[in-house]
Amino acid sequence: MSQKDNTVELLTGKNNFGKKSRIPAKLDFLQSVTGLFLALFITFHILFESSILFGKEAMYRLTKLFEGEPFIEGGEPLIITALAMVIFSMFIFHAFLAMRKFPASYKEYQRYRAHRELLNHQDTNLWFIQITTGFAMFFLGSIHLYMMMTSPEKIGPYASADRIFSDWMWPMYLLLLVSVVMHAWVGVYRLIIKWGWFDGKDPRKNRKRSKLIIKVLIAVYLFIGLVSLASYMKIGYDHQSDYGSRYVMEKIK
Amino acid sequence: MKIIYTDALIVGGGLAGLRSAIAARDKGLDTIVISMVPVKRSHSAAAQGGMQASLGNTIKGEGDNEDIHFADTVKGSDWGCDQDVARMFVTTAPKAIRELAAWGVPWNRIGKGPREVIINGQKETIVEKDEAHGLINARDFGGTKKWRTCYTSDATGHTMLYAVANEALKRDVEIHDKKEAISIIHESGICSGVIARDLISGELIAYVARGTMIATGGYGRIYKQSTNAIICKGIGIAIALETGIVQLGNMEAVQFHPTPIVPSGILLTEGCRGDGGVLRDKDGYRFMPDYEPEKKELASRDVVSRRMIEHIRKGKGVKSPYGDHLWLDISILGREHIEKNLHDVQDISKTFNGIDPADEGEKGWMPVLPMQHYSMGGIRVKPTGETPTLKGLFCSGEAACWDLHGFNRLGGNSVSEAVVAGMIVGEYFAEYCANTHLNTNTFTIEKFLEAQREYLQEILSYDGGRNIFDIKDRMRTIMQEKVGVFRNGKDLNDAVNELEDLLKMVKEITVTDKSLCNNPELNEAYRVTKMLKLALCVAKGALDRTESRGAHFREDYTKRDDINWLKRTIATWVNPNDTMPTLSYEALDISKMEMPPAFRGYGKKGAIVLNPLSKKREEEIVKIKETLGSVDRFTMQEALMDYDLPKDYKRKNERVGVGYD
Amino acid sequence: MINKSTQVEENTEGYREIEITVFRYNSQNKNDTPEYQTYKLIETPGMTLYIALIKIWSTMDHHLSFDFVCRAGICGSCSMVVNGKPRLACKTRTNEFEDGKITLLPLPTFKHIKDLSVDTGNWMNAMSKKVESWIHTKEKTDIAAIEKPIEPEDAQAVFDLDRCIECGICLASCSTKIMREDFVGAVGLNRTARFAIDPHDERTDAEFYELIGDDNGVFGCMSLMGCEDHCPKELPLQTKIAYMRRKMVKA
Ligand SMILES: Cc1cc2nc3c(=O)[nH]c(=O)nc-3n(C[C@H](O)[C@H](O)[C@H](O)COP(=O)(O)OP(=O)(O)OC[C@H]3O[C@@H](n4cnc5c(N)ncnc54)[C@H](O)[C@@H]3O)c2cc1C
Ligand code: HEM
Ligand code: SF4
Ligand code: FES
Repeated sequence: MSQKDNTVELLTGKNNFGKKSRIPAKLDFLQSVTGLFLALFITFHILFESSILFGKEAMYRLTKLFEGEPFIEGGEPLIITALAMVIFSMFIFHAFLAMRKFPASYKEYQRYRAHRELLNHQDTNLWFIQITTGFAMFFLGSIHLYMMMTSPEKIGPYASADRIFSDWMWPMYLLLLVSVVMHAWVGVYRLIIKWGWFDGKDPRKNRKRSKLIIKVLIAVYLFIGLVSLASYMKIGYDHQSDYGSRYVMEKIK
Repeated sequence: MKIIYTDALIVGGGLAGLRSAIAARDKGLDTIVISMVPVKRSHSAAAQGGMQASLGNTIKGEGDNEDIHFADTVKGSDWGCDQDVARMFVTTAPKAIRELAAWGVPWNRIGKGPREVIINGQKETIVEKDEAHGLINARDFGGTKKWRTCYTSDATGHTMLYAVANEALKRDVEIHDKKEAISIIHESGICSGVIARDLISGELIAYVARGTMIATGGYGRIYKQSTNAIICKGIGIAIALETGIVQLGNMEAVQFHPTPIVPSGILLTEGCRGDGGVLRDKDGYRFMPDYEPEKKELASRDVVSRRMIEHIRKGKGVKSPYGDHLWLDISILGREHIEKNLHDVQDISKTFNGIDPADEGEKGWMPVLPMQHYSMGGIRVKPTGETPTLKGLFCSGEAACWDLHGFNRLGGNSVSEAVVAGMIVGEYFAEYCANTHLNTNTFTIEKFLEAQREYLQEILSYDGGRNIFDIKDRMRTIMQEKVGVFRNGKDLNDAVNELEDLLKMVKEITVTDKSLCNNPELNEAYRVTKMLKLALCVAKGALDRTESRGAHFREDYTKRDDINWLKRTIATWVNPNDTMPTLSYEALDISKMEMPPAFRGYGKKGAIVLNPLSKKREEEIVKIKETLGSVDRFTMQEALMDYDLPKDYKRKNERVGVGYD
Repeated sequence: MINKSTQVEENTEGYREIEITVFRYNSQNKNDTPEYQTYKLIETPGMTLYIALIKIWSTMDHHLSFDFVCRAGICGSCSMVVNGKPRLACKTRTNEFEDGKITLLPLPTFKHIKDLSVDTGNWMNAMSKKVESWIHTKEKTDIAAIEKPIEPEDAQAVFDLDRCIECGICLASCSTKIMREDFVGAVGLNRTARFAIDPHDERTDAEFYELIGDDNGVFGCMSLMGCEDHCPKELPLQTKIAYMRRKMVKA
């Protein structure tokens, strides 16, 4: 849009053809696209993290795989940096879009809160989870992603475990985990009803079913995530004395 | 002093008022509708059954036309209606429904081929014609020769009202809701608007217009038990009466419905009995066969209502905190049938009474009682809708005695009347407004405003200690018990006297809250006063009418008497301090009728005293028919009784299979 | 908030006693303070909140304001918040509440008038105008000629959405609307869907976009589903909003 077009919209609320701007449609659509992208990413990301449950080696191999080891000798952590940058930009873009929905003033917040308490309605409460976890991720997600971009080489069974345990990152990861799992799945549930994906013949029944599946998925992911986190903690605890040393595969040793 | 000027002022935002507003806007007039409640909440929304129009689309309506609709309407009215008006109405009704269809009313449509229906408790298969596929469907309704009642499921009034209201909004009709008209401004026989009260701020506003229309609906709430919405208090009719000039017609003509549910008064459709449901008393005994061995529960509405009350009077009613009632039992039809065909009834009964009528035995019986349902009487107007005595004051819809219904209206004819009158009367009204100059001075307006201000203050200053709610209760009970389904000289006389006492008693009340704004107690005080005046018109009219006609049934004068009573009761309130209406009569002219009075086709045949003029007119008609020979039905009709319609509403209506014939 | 003393009705019939607490406030009076008032009354069989409130009003407290018109769940006048849930009071039976305690509040988001009475009419009329809630067509109808045939299923589908009674409950159950006053809400979006599927209406998606293509319209909806879960007419609001959203994204 040119400066002139913008001015017309400023003055009339419409563009120079007297039509409404299509931007709101795009914003709404992109909010969902970015949300879905991030949600898909996180479903796999958590699964990959949980590879630690199959042993250090499994996790190490996976990390190396992402560093492109099959093609590049020894792996290239910069690939992780690049990947993290893509995610980070999506993340920022999504947050930027979704921010529009936050209560914009104390008055809005107060009205929302009082109403939510009065109504005590599940889907409305879920939205509250969504904005609080979203807000928390502004910080938590940023810290995590920033680290991944700046020190991508510090991913591995010991490096990660040390960071989590000895570097006192676990409280952050705990919060991030809970936030991201809840946020992503509630977000997916929202996408389902928002676009009418699985309406079928009986949309009311299917909505209930979707909600149930989402709840199960939240539980499953929280479980996997927490167990993985615990497992890193354990490794980190055992590895305190060797803090800083990197993991080397048995074979190579 | 707040004065609002406009070209056309309409009081009442139901179907009649809003459709009239559209007519006025289409003439380019500034139009304001004032309404007690948001217009889409008007009582028109409650009509479930449907709207009559002789489209003749369904196979069961084949051959239907204006003539048959006309005959049904006149017979239904027990010859009390104005036949000119009935003709105007039946000719315009098909146009009204087609206009509504174009405005988006989702009328139930015909699907070609066979479908199953229930007629008088019997299953039957009917086959719809191919060429009727997709056209407006109709259902059966009491008192009609053909299936003529068009519908949208059980929400006909709602969909009609929304379509008309939205069209009014589209045309920028100004809608002022939560405003109640409490007096009419007039001078030297010309009406120039109303004084209204803002029900939020309590402020008095003068609405001043070239022409004013009252479309405020019925007055059912003067009865203790009524199917009407709680705003149907007849205030619009009462303020017309209070001018001392305007006449009310046939106020005693009040229709009752046999099976509203107790206590809420919500209608349970005729279909319950049509499909085979039965009525039971406190002992669970099915009593209708004792009274009406032939038709049993399927006798006509008024007959069933009367028998029910008769039975309750014998002490067979079921006692309840809401008074005695009887049971309607449809559980015998079986759960499957109920859930499929009487789903709406089941819904109402479950929601409002917590009773599932499909439950077997006593558990599923629904409490019912005949209740007031429709007000045939109202502001007497000419066929143009203008009051004959106050220029510039028009009236349409249930509030009017245009006189389409006489002493009994057919189901489905009233929403139809509301819209059709909105078209016809609305058009005459718009013409009047367009051709008239506002001719009033602020002095007059001020005088009327001041009078109302003083009146409200006066009410607040009453200090007799009585309670307006007790007075209202008493009035409604008297109407229910003594001016109800059964009427007799003694009870009516008592009723008139007691009501008169109550009216006097109003000056002895005390309104505890002295505020002028948002004071529901004050509202009640002036409304009940107005309602009492209407109640007196009804009771006095019923007392003096010593015959039985249509819904007006006198135990002591059981015959319809065309010699003495083929006339309209006219009530006026000559002096503001009067405590009784002044009655006079307007004779119906048999010699001009297209259909001279005869036997109605239901009820007892011997129960009529025919007027010799009927015979004479019949012979005349035969002669006219002979002289004309074989002409089409339109020419014939014109020769028998010509009538006028505005715009192009008199054009012939097209029908499937027969074209414009 | 003050809690006013309770008003009690004599128990005579051996029915249970219930307690109705009502929000009392006169927005028209600058000096008034909000308070809750409790009434104790006898529950008669088949009692609805309509019957209960009329009883309170005519026998205990003539100053109480509320709005009923049809008292049959048809007109949408009597929406209020009953124990936290926006509902039609006339369609609410008192015996639904096991402990016999009922709290009534006026409907939020609408302009408050007094006690349980709010102004819905003006908002709804403005909404109807905003979404141009009427048939748009260039065709001229000859009302004397046979009407345009419509498939029975199409008519039924329009009817299903036309059942909205503008009760405002969807708005009062919607946190989005609570926060953002200009949001048209489910009632407005459902209305556009109703016309979008009406065979009489010739409007294109682009034309509907002009009415609801912004954050006050369909893109403002955050899918909280308060509307869907409280609508007394059980309209398919979720699917219809999604339907309009899909259309508008492509428009
Ligand atoms: C339960 C029930 C079912 C029915 N079913 C059918 C049916 O199936 N078919 C049929 O044909 N008929 C039916 N009827 C009758 C029909 O609904 C009415 O006769 C018709 O709708 C009346 O329309 P109206 O426009 O004259 O008045 P209403 O729709 O009653 O409108 C009156 C208007 O006037 C306003 N008003 C009243 N007093 C004042 C005042 N003082 N100041 C300002 N405004 C005021 C009100 O706010 C309202 O807007 C039924 C009636 C009932 C009770
Ligand atoms: C700073 C970080 C984030 C913020 C502030 C944020 C905020 C929000 C908010 C407020 C919503 C609700 C939008 C609405 O109600 O319409 C939302 C939706 C969503 N979010 Fe996030 N979010 C963030 C990160 C994420 C992440 C990391 C994921 C995935 C793992 C994610 C997935 C989703 C999804 C799928 C939706 C639903 C999209 C939609 O409704 O169109 N978000 N987000
Ligand atoms: S959509 Fe439902 S809740 Fe909303 S106004 Fe209409 S009927 Fe009421
Ligand atoms: S009073 Fe009409 S819906 Fe409750």
